[in-house]
Amino acid sequence: MVVVALVAVLATRDPAGTRLGRSPLLGKVAPVLAGESIVAGTDDFDLAHQEGRWVVVNFFATWCVPCQEEHDDLVTLAADHAAADDLAVVSVVFSDTAANVSAYFADRGGSWPVIDDPQGQVITDWGVTGVPESFVVDGRGYVRAKVVGGITVERLEQLLVDLASGG
Amino acid sequence: MRRLSWVALVMVVGVALVVGTRDDGGAPTRDERAQSLAERFRCPTCKGQSVADSDAPASEFIRDEIDRQLGEGRSDDEIEAYLVSRYGSSVLLTPPRSGIAALVWVVPVAALVLASAGLVVAFRRWGRSWVPT
Repeated sequence: MVVVALVAVLATRDPAGTRLGRSPLLGKVAPVLAGESIVAGTDDFDLAHQEGRWVVVNFFATWCVPCQEEHDDLVTLAADHAAADDLAVVSVVFSDTAANVSAYFADRGGSWPVIDDPQGQVITDWGVTGVPESFVVDGRGYVRAKVVGGITVERLEQLLVDLASGG
Repeated sequence: MRRLSWVALVMVVGVALVVGTRDDGGAPTRDERAQSLAERFRCPTCKGQSVADSDAPASEFIRDEIDRQLGEGRSDDEIEAYLVSRYGSSVLLTPPRSGIAALVWVVPVAALVLASAGLVVAFRRWGRSWVPT
């Protein structure tokens, strides 16, 4: 009975280590984020052109296990909001190669822009310390939340509801 | 003779201090500034290591950013302000001297002053109450 309860708790909780993070960027206008997407078939991206929709800025690497675990949730999230066009996902590569990332997306799916950052300029602009880390930017371009660790659709949808209601 | 020895000792210490603390002359090179700056920042993903000492990717990116901003002609203070605006004041290995973090500097000094004052008061009391037997 105890084992069943333990399994149920572990199966339904957020991925290990996922939490809302602190950042000096919270409540401030998001840093500039624009560039060519390195994933075939996806559009180039400019955060300045996302007015009116939520943007999930996801920092990841293909070698990062929690990033691999959250990838399916990002695919679902992007698909769920495609019709309403009220949310955009953009990923930024953290210490990885463009070739690895292209193969990763070809294998696992995902049709959102991915920006390479070999010099780490975007990474320092956003104060990223590791992966996965995701920032939620609102439709006016303000950073509203930072999620440290892998995200899930349920957690992110709830976060969006909380943010929309002023939480 | 004894007084002369003391004067000589004070002079030697004074000269040593002046020599030890004087500027070597010349502005630091860009590499020296980059190294000095990297030593001022904490590696965001390590425990107790500076950006200069760490091989973590985040530290490498910060070192690259320092180098890039030095190349753009930014001052050390501007680079520090930029990194604090991105990572927070916890990125500084030495706490800032203003705001709530200044307590790190003020509290030990205040404690030392209070302790010294307490000792002075205690010694005076003991001195008054001590009766030779």
